[in-house]
Amino acid sequence: MSTASRERKPNFFYNIAKNYPVVVIFIVLVILFSILYHERFLSPANLTATLRQFVTLILFSIGPTFVMLLGSMDQSFIGIWMLGSALLWILTPILGPISLLVFPLFGIASGLLIGLIHVKLRVPSFILTLSVLIVYWGLTVIIVQGNPRIVPGYEFLTADFIPFIPTPFLYSIVIILLAVFIVKRTKLGTYFYAIGSNEEGARLAGIDVGKYKIVAFTLSGFFSGIGSIVLFQHLGGTVPVSFSMNNVVRPLIAIILGGTPLSGGRGGPQRTILGALTFSVIYRGLYLSALDAEVIDLIVGLILIVSIVISSRGGELRGVEIA
Amino acid sequence: MANEPILDVRNVYKSFGKVYALEDTSLRVYPHEIVGVVGENGAGKTTLMKTLVGVHSPDKGEWYHNGIRVPFPKDPKDAARKGISIVYQERGVVPSLQVYQFLFLGNEEKYIGKFGLQIPKMKNAAKEILDEFHIKCNIEDFMFDLPLSTQKMIEIAKAVLNIRLEQNKENADSVIILDEPTAPLNIEERNELLDEIVRLKKHSSFVFVTHIMQEVIEYMDRVIVLRDGRQVAEYDMATNKVTEKELVRMIVGKDVEEQYQSSRPKNYIEQSGNALSAINLSKNGSYYDVSFNLYKAECLGFWGSAGSGKSELIKTIAGIKGYDDGCLMIQGKKTKNRELPHTRLRKGIGYFSGETVNELFYDWPITKNISILNIEKIVTRFIHLLKFKAEKAMAAGIVEQLRIRTPNTVTAISSLSGGNKQKVTVGKWLERKPDILLLEDPTIGIDVGARDDIYKTILDMKSQGISMILVSDDPKEYSTLCDRIVLMQQGKAERTILKEQLNEVIQA
Amino acid sequence: MINNNNTKGSMNKMFSERIFTSTRIPLLVVVVVICIFQMVNPTFLSYQGIVTLVYAMSYFLIVACGLTFVVMMGSFDFSGISIMKLSALICVLYIENFGLWVIPIALLVCAAIGFINGILVAKLSVPSFMATLGISIVVDGIALLTSKGFLHLMNDEGFRSISTTFIAGIPSVFYWSIAIWLLCTGLAVLTPFGRRTYAIGANSRAAALSGINIDRQRILVFTLSGTLAGAAGVFYMSQLGGGSVEIGGQMMIPLFASVVAGGTSLRGGSGGPQNTLLGVIIITWIQSGLRMLGTGLDTQMVVLGIIAIAMSIATTDRNKLMRSIVK
Repeated sequence: MSTASRERKPNFFYNIAKNYPVVVIFIVLVILFSILYHERFLSPANLTATLRQFVTLILFSIGPTFVMLLGSMDQSFIGIWMLGSALLWILTPILGPISLLVFPLFGIASGLLIGLIHVKLRVPSFILTLSVLIVYWGLTVIIVQGNPRIVPGYEFLTADFIPFIPTPFLYSIVIILLAVFIVKRTKLGTYFYAIGSNEEGARLAGIDVGKYKIVAFTLSGFFSGIGSIVLFQHLGGTVPVSFSMNNVVRPLIAIILGGTPLSGGRGGPQRTILGALTFSVIYRGLYLSALDAEVIDLIVGLILIVSIVISSRGGELRGVEIA
Repeated sequence: MANEPILDVRNVYKSFGKVYALEDTSLRVYPHEIVGVVGENGAGKTTLMKTLVGVHSPDKGEWYHNGIRVPFPKDPKDAARKGISIVYQERGVVPSLQVYQFLFLGNEEKYIGKFGLQIPKMKNAAKEILDEFHIKCNIEDFMFDLPLSTQKMIEIAKAVLNIRLEQNKENADSVIILDEPTAPLNIEERNELLDEIVRLKKHSSFVFVTHIMQEVIEYMDRVIVLRDGRQVAEYDMATNKVTEKELVRMIVGKDVEEQYQSSRPKNYIEQSGNALSAINLSKNGSYYDVSFNLYKAECLGFWGSAGSGKSELIKTIAGIKGYDDGCLMIQGKKTKNRELPHTRLRKGIGYFSGETVNELFYDWPITKNISILNIEKIVTRFIHLLKFKAEKAMAAGIVEQLRIRTPNTVTAISSLSGGNKQKVTVGKWLERKPDILLLEDPTIGIDVGARDDIYKTILDMKSQGISMILVSDDPKEYSTLCDRIVLMQQGKAERTILKEQLNEVIQA
Repeated sequence: MINNNNTKGSMNKMFSERIFTSTRIPLLVVVVVICIFQMVNPTFLSYQGIVTLVYAMSYFLIVACGLTFVVMMGSFDFSGISIMKLSALICVLYIENFGLWVIPIALLVCAAIGFINGILVAKLSVPSFMATLGISIVVDGIALLTSKGFLHLMNDEGFRSISTTFIAGIPSVFYWSIAIWLLCTGLAVLTPFGRRTYAIGANSRAAALSGINIDRQRILVFTLSGTLAGAAGVFYMSQLGGGSVEIGGQMMIPLFASVVAGGTSLRGGSGGPQNTLLGVIIITWIQSGLRMLGTGLDTQMVVLGIIAIAMSIATTDRNKLMRSIVK
């Protein structure tokens, strides 16, 4: 029955709408905004700006997606970007451009540490990564003594070579492909889905659950690290010193919108692309409207709540059985 | 079946603490046969299976392979190398994986190429195995979309595949242990699965743990009965056809006997009025069209094998599970579906099971565990502050009445023995005195002395006018506690008997 | 007082470990902290030093009590700081319209936000940390929107005097917060409400089978947490008389650190407001000690973040968790 129905066209669209509701949201929003701000929304300038927004979101959100597949949470990615930049500021005069490697190396170390503490000492990941994030932020500010230091010499990272397409976008395609490869074409991906879907079942299938959880956190740190190489220049080439929870929350919204629920087991980086794209469109649409920045923040918060309520639905969750 | 056994385990001993879970048990499995393993809960079935797949290591025992003594497996992977794999009763399925991903879960090594996993190759191998096992599903379907019986079949295929990949042989001898595979299935699914397993005999042998006697009679080639950790009987179904009654007698051990004089005359019970009644209560996949009346101060038992729907039924009455159709009335008043336990408790229905993990707060002292259910009795009148002296006195009363062995009333539950833990559970309900008390396996896993104390307390409560419903695996429990017994089979209430007739039903 | 930590009879090993982690470590830390800062800075324990400390501690204790109830229940409330800010803002913006009636209005608004948190967690089954994180973003947005980001000054003397009247040499906000702390401790230890909260944290399935209405209790506790955060905001505004509230999730860290440093485990079912007092003392003293040493907010965050991680490790009883799943 299923093979036959997939060949017919109306069911194809129905399947898309059912399995990827975010696509529908995306199309509706694009049409809506194109009508509301015609000319402006589809202008090259705005499209480029949307792409830039997309790059920021996807590079931040691709790492934590691995951890959220397990049903855990990683908020340290902003911290890796911040403290990594500060380390880059220290190292560049000494080592030159090779010091860019500090991002992925620091990311791996940080992810490994978080994974070990989470798995071996059994601290809930949400609060653990939040604390780690705050520590990284504090260290960053201490290192640069509170000033947003400029680190020159890395402009080549974002120099345009195709008009209207931001170069970071090209980098992010490579990074996305790498992440999708890991999830789709290695056993790690299958294990992450399995652990997020049914940890006990994965254990019964002979999988060392603790080990692969640590691997997921390490991968998250690694991807946040290589993402930060691009983001560092993409977001101004200075060491960031101001901290806002909004920066943490937006990539998380992109992940949840994409279809990776907080309980894990479904979704993945390929879905996060859709989420990031949709959220960029929402954000640009809001930006083009005459709304205050505060109202936009407010709406972003509401989007977060609505998307997690929707993604927490499904499954038999009522009654005592939740316990 | 004349040739060499592919699994030959002899004289296995395994103890947990001072208690022997397995004593001198042997198991032999020949190629292409299904061996049934039956026994009460706690008879040692699970321990034996876990020993075979290397989850437990035995205290003593011998394992022969082609007549040569070899060590027991260290872990499930090692067991697979020896040709043994297990399909667990539940929690083995990973819902959000696709069929082919699930089949190879944990065994991907053979399919890693230069560019990551060789997905086309995996899919082809998966398709082959699905064809071989006659499983009707698409390899790209998600596990959660498939019916339960198909999921079970895929799990069996996965177990066979696991052995083949581990031994790197296409047609390795394999023994698949099935731990109550039919428990969550309805009748049609059950028969379908069993037919498939019989067909699969040409690929593999099976050890089949079950509670359902019919399955044993109709489908098994041999059956082994375990009781109290020992093998008490073995029947070869081809030469020595055993009856269901005989099997049950071997499982239970002795004839069900009268221990306490507690039953009341039938007319007396019916005069006392209705406490609870159900009309055509149904829950899809569990029980269908169940109707009964529970009179005041009587104990009604639901007797049936696991999978007969008795456990779901009692959980429905407790408010832990919902129902799909029918009607449930408490003291003549209709209840709403989906009422949670706290609402049911307010209406007078209490539920307790022998699983103390779900009943008690292990870190808490006895006092708090008893008072949590009786908090109204120990609060001051106006602003509802707790009266700690009253709380202590309440707990002390229960400790004395039930002879709970503990240094004092503020000892944490976790340091008590199993029997005493269960006495605390009974104690909190004794203090609460609900109108109706639901008992599910009330004395599971505790020793005889504590069991007698608990029976006495429960009978006391009954004589004080509390109605009860009992669901258990132990026929002695029914004859001790119940007045009437509803016989359940495959989700249907067959008939209601007096407890004196239970012996005949089991033996007849 | 019947309390796990105070029972004499139990010689159980696990039990004594529990006492060790939940009471002795915090006390030890207090003493060590005082000694260090006293040595480094002799004015630390001076009268002025103590008044500063009392100011810093009082409103903080109130919002920490609210969070403690939620953590006791095995959930988490991220929105405390945001709700506190909103409440402070309502007070300063509408005091001219309503006079002192602005206080109950602010508390009501905050209770309503807590109620929404509770609905999200209990009825819509959203994990508590994400639900409250989302709410905190929305509340922050509302606060920014109403204040337009400007600094507002509180000129109402009556309102200021709630916190700044000195009684026996100590500002009145201290007595208020101690009174609220006592009420919270009473609520946790002496009432069925507290017992039910602990029960849900300790074993939610057993709690449901013991006839506790889990959904209702969760909503009540989140509402209580919101209300207490609101009260903290009122005192905050009345003691400082204005000023921009430091905005951002990082303020959550000292709050969270003081709850776990007191000995309330993130797993729920243990600790309580009685423990949180010690935690708040430790954290505010460390904070103000660091400030006296001339370090900035950044260093404080590093120290407090590490303390938060260390204390959540210390209060986790790993023996018991070997088989449970930690996400």
